[in-house]
Amino acid sequence: MQRTDAAISVKLWALVCTIMGISLTSNMVLTCVLAMCGFTFLAVQRNFRLLRGFGVFYLILAILLCLIRFYGLHMMVFSEFHVLMFWNLSPVFIVGWDLITTPPGELAAFLSYIHTPTPIILGVLVMFRFFPTMRAELKCVWQSMRNRGLTSPSQLLCHPAVSCEYVLIPILLRCLQIADQLSVSAVARGAENPAKRGSYYSRKINFSDSVWFVVWSSVTALFLVLGGVRL
Amino acid sequence: MITLKKVSFHYKGSDAGVCDIDFSIKDGECIVLAGPSGGGKTTLTRLLNGLAPAYYPGELTGQILFNGKESVNSKSYEIGREIGSVFQDPKSQFFSSELAGEVAFACENYGMHTDEIRKRTDMAIRRFDLNCFRGHSLDVLSSGEKQRVAIASVYALHPNVYVCDEPTANLDDKGSTHLADMLQKLKKEGNTLIIAEHRLAWLAQIADRYVYIANGRMCWEKTAKQLAEMSDTERDIFGLRIVDKIELGSIQASVENTSPVLSAHRLSLTQNKKTIFTNQNFLLFSGQITALTGENGAGKTSLAKVLTGLTRESSGEVQLFGKRSAPSHRRKTIWYGSNDTATQFFTNSVTEELLLQSKKTPEVLERARKLLKDLGLYKFREVHPASLSGGQKQRLSIACGILSQRRILIFDEPTSGLDGINMEIIASLLKDESRKGTAILVITHDKELIQRCCNFVINIDKQ
Repeated sequence: MQRTDAAISVKLWALVCTIMGISLTSNMVLTCVLAMCGFTFLAVQRNFRLLRGFGVFYLILAILLCLIRFYGLHMMVFSEFHVLMFWNLSPVFIVGWDLITTPPGELAAFLSYIHTPTPIILGVLVMFRFFPTMRAELKCVWQSMRNRGLTSPSQLLCHPAVSCEYVLIPILLRCLQIADQLSVSAVARGAENPAKRGSYYSRKINFSDSVWFVVWSSVTALFLVLGGVRL
Repeated sequence: MITLKKVSFHYKGSDAGVCDIDFSIKDGECIVLAGPSGGGKTTLTRLLNGLAPAYYPGELTGQILFNGKESVNSKSYEIGREIGSVFQDPKSQFFSSELAGEVAFACENYGMHTDEIRKRTDMAIRRFDLNCFRGHSLDVLSSGEKQRVAIASVYALHPNVYVCDEPTANLDDKGSTHLADMLQKLKKEGNTLIIAEHRLAWLAQIADRYVYIANGRMCWEKTAKQLAEMSDTERDIFGLRIVDKIELGSIQASVENTSPVLSAHRLSLTQNKKTIFTNQNFLLFSGQITALTGENGAGKTSLAKVLTGLTRESSGEVQLFGKRSAPSHRRKTIWYGSNDTATQFFTNSVTEELLLQSKKTPEVLERARKLLKDLGLYKFREVHPASLSGGQKQRLSIACGILSQRRILIFDEPTSGLDGINMEIIASLLKDESRKGTAILVITHDKELIQRCCNFVINIDKQ
């Protein structure tokens, strides 16, 4: 299903609101108001994948919090402190993750709209390409190591340092090569042009964006009034 | 009109470069730069599109005139507007994961208005029939499709000149034919094309003139007609890969009363609910070289990985020497030489690479030495594998396979991107090895390689 992403400025505003909310509040548990608002925000944008992932995570936290509060659960590894910390930070995670998983093209359009210098925009674009490329490369290296019998448990256990080297050498060399080819491709396509960068995507603020501006502002304000401000 | 007058260029800190290049290219003409790998073709393309000396520093003498104006005085983005560049490996040129963003990239850099960018991008996408890839991630396209996207992204800018550096290095026959169609369209629109290439077959209908470059010098210039009239022996001297398209003749197969070393029975693979290949049955025999052919994306590489035990089959079985064999056993018996040499070498020198994982007995050392000499790699034995040229890397990779002493060797596209001379060396290397009783499977769409060394051909169809 097609996602209907909100404008970047709205997402940024949502991030600012949640950060302000959780850092000023004196009622940690009530941050669920912001989290719920975040989930609704995701649902309206039809970002169901993210909604599902964070939903499950948040549900587990909620159950743990209940157990701690009412049944005196005490865990050695993931203590009350951690549960509460994640519970508290969840709204920021949700909104922040939604922001950085925006299609890179729209992000670049926004950056050039606010007059970000071209090198920074290209840097952002490259960063988004980096992770899928590296994953594919690592897979290739692992495969050729397996082919040469360099991944047997005895080899990995007896020579851990050498094994690391076997992974790192080809990966680093490949990084250099990819960096070089990418720069060449950018230079050949006019990346050094000093003029302001244009963009294929243009995203005007529409009605639902304005609604969300108001929603985030008022929910945060309400949350701070209800929960009290810690100064 | 592009004119080169006594152009010499040497990269900073290296002897490599070109010397005394003198020729001119008329508007609307298609010129092919032919010649051996490392001969200076790529350098020449870099001079034409301004990447040398702007991006690759070095010393330039002589004049490069583009429409009467000296190109050294122009900025890289001014040249980029007039001269579009297409490179060898499309996958590492992409800045965006989706089609429209990638095609629009150059226009965006030139700061065009959104409406203009959209108009040009959509037109380029339509012109090259790419509409069906909107909404896909570019990473899942085949190499041929990726190269089409790369050309469309240059086309959106409407340059008058296209410089292509070995654009078919990663493409199969169908991909090359498609590319030829695209270039034909560009030529009909009056664009000038400059193509550095050593696979000449696919260019037969497009090229007007051939310029042969070796050792950094221009050796000769021939029209398409003159080149077609060259005799085979002449072509062999220059290591040119056959001009006319060749059809596969009957390939002699002589297997008498031998049992297969490997047999695949009803082999199938399904990944992420997608069928990669189904019901593959075939046999490999000792002392024979079998070619595995099929379109890009037909599942050849996946099939090889299943045979080698790097991927587990979904159904069916593989027998080695008449016994059913598990993937872990196959990994020890079968060698898989991947097409991508970049991620294959792990050590600091050619010799170490060759001897990795093998016992350094005098016999093995002797074998390694002989192999290096046969392959012309002996003088590079102390060199870091990463600093070898493409052809040398591919040869080293095959040598590693041979020295692994495994009975079955599988090589994936060992000649892609290589010139005629390197192809010849690899063909004879494979033949020598098969005479010793090794069974070899070569995944390839290089018909010349098949003609020179293979006894059997297995073709798999796209699902």
